[in-house]
Amino acid sequence: MALIQIAEPGQSTTAHQHKLAVGIDLGTTNSLVATVRSGDVATLADDDGQHLLPSIVHYGEKGIDVGLSAQQHSVSDPFNTIVSAKRFMGRGKEDIAAEDSHYAYEFAETDSVVPRFKTRAGNVSAVEVSAEILKALKKRAVDTLGDELNGAVITVPAYFDDAQRQATKDAAKLADINVLRLLNEPTAAAVAYGLDTGNEGVIAVYDLGGGTFDVSILRLNKGVFEVLATGGDSSLGGDDFDYEIAQWVISQAKLTNLDSPAIKRLIMQQARSAKEALATEESIEIKLDIDDCQWLGTLTRDTLKELLTPLVKKTLMSCRRALRDADVDKEAINEVVMVGGSTRTLLVRELVAEFFECELLTSIDPDKVVATGAALQADVLVGNKPDDEMLLLDVIPLSLGIETMGGLVEKIIHRNTGIPAAKAQDFTTYKDGQTAMAIHVLQGERELVSDSRSLARFELRGFPPQVAGAARIRVTFQVDADGLLIVSAREENSGVEASVDVKPSYGLEDAEIESMLRASMDHAEEDMHIRSLREQQVEAERVIEALDSALAKDADELLSAEEKTEIMNARQALVDIKSGSSVDEIEQTIKKLEATCENYIARRMNSNIKIAMQGHSIEEYSSDIKSEAEES
Amino acid sequence: MTKDILSSNFFELFDLPVSYAVDLQKAQQQYMELQKQVHPDKFANASDQEKRLSMQQTSWINEAFTTLKDDVLRATYLLKLKGTDINLENETTMDAVFLMQQLEMRERLENIKQESDPLDVLDSMAKEIKLMATEMMQGFADCYASEQTEQAREWIRKLQFMQKAKKEINLRTAELEDELMS
Repeated sequence: MALIQIAEPGQSTTAHQHKLAVGIDLGTTNSLVATVRSGDVATLADDDGQHLLPSIVHYGEKGIDVGLSAQQHSVSDPFNTIVSAKRFMGRGKEDIAAEDSHYAYEFAETDSVVPRFKTRAGNVSAVEVSAEILKALKKRAVDTLGDELNGAVITVPAYFDDAQRQATKDAAKLADINVLRLLNEPTAAAVAYGLDTGNEGVIAVYDLGGGTFDVSILRLNKGVFEVLATGGDSSLGGDDFDYEIAQWVISQAKLTNLDSPAIKRLIMQQARSAKEALATEESIEIKLDIDDCQWLGTLTRDTLKELLTPLVKKTLMSCRRALRDADVDKEAINEVVMVGGSTRTLLVRELVAEFFECELLTSIDPDKVVATGAALQADVLVGNKPDDEMLLLDVIPLSLGIETMGGLVEKIIHRNTGIPAAKAQDFTTYKDGQTAMAIHVLQGERELVSDSRSLARFELRGFPPQVAGAARIRVTFQVDADGLLIVSAREENSGVEASVDVKPSYGLEDAEIESMLRASMDHAEEDMHIRSLREQQVEAERVIEALDSALAKDADELLSAEEKTEIMNARQALVDIKSGSSVDEIEQTIKKLEATCENYIARRMNSNIKIAMQGHSIEEYSSDIKSEAEES
Repeated sequence: MTKDILSSNFFELFDLPVSYAVDLQKAQQQYMELQKQVHPDKFANASDQEKRLSMQQTSWINEAFTTLKDDVLRATYLLKLKGTDINLENETTMDAVFLMQQLEMRERLENIKQESDPLDVLDSMAKEIKLMATEMMQGFADCYASEQTEQAREWIRKLQFMQKAKKEINLRTAELEDELMS
């Protein structure tokens, strides 16, 4: 323990060697990249001065376009233009049925559980689409800053589950980006505001993006951001506002022919423009001019309010739940940080202010605030600010558990537990001679397996046959600082390492996940050994040092030549063995040395007590006490 | 030398006396201090080995803090330190009068919508639960101090009911409030 905290001399003085680290907000609608340059944090613009990169990828005849140039193809070439790919990150085929009613996508028929968009560049997954966006942002950073990228903090909605987080990390891997940390978006926003104002107290972060809603309750204290609770809805956002408006347009214009994806996209785009215009205007005209339908209508703020209030209220329910989870009264909230483009909608601000009855923080551009916070943390993580006190303590948004008899979920790590978190649970066999066990890992708050998100299936095999109920299978859940789950399992009685097989998850292929899991299990073993070896070595060094300093003081007075030789021999034995790799041997040798020194230690203690008592009067002690009292 | 985090018990780790009453404010401060030393963010550039150790230590600190803050977990942990393992899942109180009380409360919760002002009833039920829990916690603390392990264990079993009831009441309140809002 102590070893890892001792910095090499001079290592922390390399502050001038500034490393390039960025914060990336990989959004549903727009993405951004930000960095800290000479102490100032800023988002980076493209050649045309645009900071926001639309999260749209076009697979064209001549290659891949990302951003605005891709957006131009959204209506003319919808199937090759992937929008809102984030909504599909870490999702399975069964999840997409509800989604594709909003947008036009064409999914490929494949054997994989991961849905793939059919494009002219082949069948691509959401992870690959996201990787294209990340590559574009990485290029922007490298071009602007003229340096190699050391690492990035990538933000994810706080409410993202394990599969969605893993998918995000996979996308970064494909884009060849070193991920310093996955950071929750609301936490990033709090950092962006917190450092500016040196806030103390409890705050709420209300983050309504294009496709997701997050709320977090945080306690701010001397640079520490402690997330008390987080909640939200991973499929509710500004896109849904657009959808409601589009539905209204469709019903007003009495449109019937809606099979064309181009028309769907066109109406969605008009709906969005209308929504944005109503942030400043009282009403807006919408004009449709499609083959067999010409329509002109007016959308007023009042109508907008009617359309959107149910959706905004849904977000407020999540807020209330987060408050309850945090065990914080609404009155205790000092400020509400507003994040995400959808918080520009006036109705949202109005209803949120009414709900929390406090000031809304909107001074930082709600589109840029997340990337800004991520850049600040990236700067700290990469080591540019070694003395910084900032620390983010986050929680896991959804409970993790295991399937038990009868299709029920037994929760192992509960939601809103501080991360990193680890928990072990023992299971046993129910049949005589059983040598394998299936373990199904789930995430979510529901009681039934069928209502929860399936993360992985394991088969623990190869432990020796025993009587039913005798085997002790310890399954360990470890959630890291990115909120990602690592599962390991072993049969404790036999100590035999059993193999772990992982069945489909979302994102990576089975084989890849399997090898990753194997690797982490092997490492855990290895780590345990290395750690206990280091501990014993440190202990050996400590014993030798203590002995040497004692011998230097009073060896001649208290020990015979023979005794001294004996001790020195035992000491030498420990010196010889401590650089070896056997934990047991080192431990045994320490014990031997301690036993050899037993008499010496006893004599030293006695002699010390005697010295302490000799030649001192009570007065001297009391005068010591007195002078100490005077000094203080 | 920094104390070995992984082999410290939760009270030692937080520099608190081993007792049922805990100074939560001090625990909170100590939690922050510990996190500042071992959190993975402090090791983002370290070796994989150090990263993993930091993750394990932070996990342990988080578990310790969760345990110390929770009235039932803390009680269970105290008995565990004395060599008494409790499996809360498989244990329940046999106190018939108490169980009857719980059953009645449950029924009342299930039919809460029939009350004229359900939110008000939930509120007073929550207060009642809190009062009972406080008594039980005192009961546990006394028995723990006087080494009456079996008695102490019985208090934990009952206290667990209070926690569940509190959760249930919160859930019902949330449902009702949501209904009122939409």
